[in-house]
Amino acid sequence: MKRGFLGLALTVLAAMGLAQDRTQVLVYGGDFTDLITLDPQVVYEFSGVLIADNLYETLVRFEGNDLSTLRPGLAESWKVDRGKEEWILTFKLRKGSRFSTGREVTAKDVVFSFERALALKGPGSFLFTEIAGLKPGATKALDPYTVEVRIPKTASPQSFLSILTFTIGGVVDSEEVQKNAKGGDYGKDFLSSNSAGSGPYRLVRWDRGSQVLLEANPYARVKPKTPRVILRYIQEPAVLRTALESGEVDIAEGLTPEALKAIAANPRFKVLRAETLRLQYLGMNMKAGSPFAHPKVREAVRYAVNQDELIQGLLQGNALKIQTFIPKGLLGYNPATPYAYDPARARKLLAEAGYPQGLEFELLVSTGICGGGVPCPDVAAKLQADMAKAGLRARIRAIANAELLATYRAQNHQMVLAGWSPDFPDPDGNATPWADYDARSLAWRNSYQDEVAAKLARQAALETDPKKRQALYKVLTERVLHQGPYAVLYQPAQPIALSAKVEGFLKNPMMSSPLWLVEKRP
Amino acid sequence: MAAYVLKRLGYALLVGLGITFITFFVSQVIPIDPAVAALGENAREEQIREFRERYGLDKPLLVQYGLYLQRLFRLDLGRSLRTGRPVAEDLKEFFPATLELALSAFLVALLLGLPAGVWAALRQNRPPDLLVRLLALLLGSTPVFFLAILLLDLLHRRLGLLPGPGRLDPFLLPPPRVTGMVSLDALLAGDWAAFRDALAHLVLPAFVLGSASAALLARMVRAAMLEVLSQDYIRTVWAKGLSERQVVLRHALKNAALPVLTLLGGLLGGLLSGAVLTETIFSWPGLGRYVTQSATSLDFPAVMGVTLLVGVVYSLLNLLVDLLYALLDPRIRYA
Repeated sequence: MKRGFLGLALTVLAAMGLAQDRTQVLVYGGDFTDLITLDPQVVYEFSGVLIADNLYETLVRFEGNDLSTLRPGLAESWKVDRGKEEWILTFKLRKGSRFSTGREVTAKDVVFSFERALALKGPGSFLFTEIAGLKPGATKALDPYTVEVRIPKTASPQSFLSILTFTIGGVVDSEEVQKNAKGGDYGKDFLSSNSAGSGPYRLVRWDRGSQVLLEANPYARVKPKTPRVILRYIQEPAVLRTALESGEVDIAEGLTPEALKAIAANPRFKVLRAETLRLQYLGMNMKAGSPFAHPKVREAVRYAVNQDELIQGLLQGNALKIQTFIPKGLLGYNPATPYAYDPARARKLLAEAGYPQGLEFELLVSTGICGGGVPCPDVAAKLQADMAKAGLRARIRAIANAELLATYRAQNHQMVLAGWSPDFPDPDGNATPWADYDARSLAWRNSYQDEVAAKLARQAALETDPKKRQALYKVLTERVLHQGPYAVLYQPAQPIALSAKVEGFLKNPMMSSPLWLVEKRP
Repeated sequence: MAAYVLKRLGYALLVGLGITFITFFVSQVIPIDPAVAALGENAREEQIREFRERYGLDKPLLVQYGLYLQRLFRLDLGRSLRTGRPVAEDLKEFFPATLELALSAFLVALLLGLPAGVWAALRQNRPPDLLVRLLALLLGSTPVFFLAILLLDLLHRRLGLLPGPGRLDPFLLPPPRVTGMVSLDALLAGDWAAFRDALAHLVLPAFVLGSASAALLARMVRAAMLEVLSQDYIRTVWAKGLSERQVVLRHALKNAALPVLTLLGGLLGGLLSGAVLTETIFSWPGLGRYVTQSATSLDFPAVMGVTLLVGVVYSLLNLLVDLLYALLDPRIRYA
């Protein structure tokens, strides 16, 4: 009886301690309404990936903002062998990694997780099936600490390793998940709102639309600096700012450029510009009969966009000027910016192409927000004004993003203002969609059929020597820059406001954030 | 009486069916493919095809509607295209928050509107009446988002009197979920700190949401009371020498209650379904936010689920109001 009372008293005290010591709790405010599942093999939304990254570990991982050097995760070492028919990747697991259930992570769990990804066919499963060519049964446990994965020769082992850093490669506790599986769902229902990983945190609860609560995983190899994390849904930017200023949140994502300016001037706060791999671009449909089928017209468009003013003015500097299609941060990034704003030259090119009186066309834009947090119609209006000086008269048609995508996919546009993020942190995540017509992605949508570019993209994807690979991408990006159907506008940065007490926060270009490294000073 | 209630419940069912019919066919008029909307810009063709098959979007329209009705009779509202969960589960998650907020706002409306209306009627064309009418006009015409931001800035940010958005201080441990209404759950768990905090979090959004209803109610009560107060029997009561309190409470208010009751039913229904802005600004995880997100991603099973729920609640509230009539006015009988 006495002991029971003592235990209760201790629990109450512990709870009070947790409730009061604010340095032990990190509160992250933002619009998390895209969160629909936390299952690592299914999740594909920004918020879900952000959280699942902190719950699960992958075999290999990237560190900080560097997306070109793979580092050990659950695997302490790995090698890639060229087999007769396939690539053979062998991973050696480190001993002593434990799930939040206390079980040790073994090769069996890795096999289960990979097979699970293939069986569940989540929105990110094409990374395994199409990009890496992974088949059921191709992942084997050679012993409790050795995993072998075989992928076809046509796939790129580099891409596969990059994909493995993504949540889809997150390793789940196979016993815990099978215990909670219902009717052959591989525990999909269970893992959507519970966690069974070896990451630094475990999921305590998720109140949909309200908050997500994470707590240190007691068995984790990596101990978080802040034992408790709360992600609070705050959609309204003005309210988010108030919450940051009153100390209710420590990290605020989604403030307006004006609010960020004011926050940055206040010494109690700081603003971090997270790099992204997103590109905002104009797509020009080259199908027969379209004015944009003429290379000089596309050239004219590239001379008629004023990138500097767009970035410094509208975007308040929250973006990088770029003209090639591999974003900064990935291997193969090409910093060339040969096109400067030159309306006279654009006019001349138009005349040479047979449009001495200029040209009128429709510019399709989303009514939503473009990269850098600016409404797309505002970006379009700026482009319209700049292009008009060169005789390119755009009629802006602003429609819902879903409708824009449907139109774009059906090749029913003339010019479109759109955004693109690679599906995995590898240059091939951009090269194939942008350059290979047969991939039925961006090149196809803009009727850009270029066998040379497509071949270069395929060759670069399979090249394992980084130097040679970089050289191939240089040739490819130059070619698409001058001949392709795109005018790349900018690579947005994502500004995040923090309390000055917060140390060690980072968001990498794949939008993942190692929250376990964050510390809160009193 | 029982027969009458049954008949009305039958009508409610028909209303519900009508609602599903209209929302379903409206959803088909919109020229956007929900599969593309759900899967986003990088989706592959196969993914889109698979998605259509999984949710039956590839079947003919009437077949889709038939399947929907079939499931509905088993109380299955289908699966949300956006969250991938059963819509009924989602409603269970989001409705309690809305109910908590709507009931609190309703209480605000009653506590402010009722006395203010009575007071204004008793002091017709004198300063109290003018004050109430002015306030009612102001509150009734201030946009919700403006009032919300203004009060948040003043009472939360500058004065620190009331907590900001959300349902509970993030540094407090939330009570175990029983009803889904945080204040009630805290009470059930006996967690007084959480209960107090949850109530404090309710004050601002409830006031913002309830203020327009309070204003409307005050004007309605005033008008109804004025009419009653000018009648002969009230003069007689005054002549009998009763106090103002007795005149109002025992004689006038009961007779003024009928038109007000009609309004109350509609008000509560409106509060339950019209809290989108309040919920957004106060980060309140309710039905309003759920349905706006569903609508923007063309998640029609979810939109239909919410519409159906709101329709049924409206029908039930109307029934309740009609039954209360009979209670208040002995001349009304239902057979």
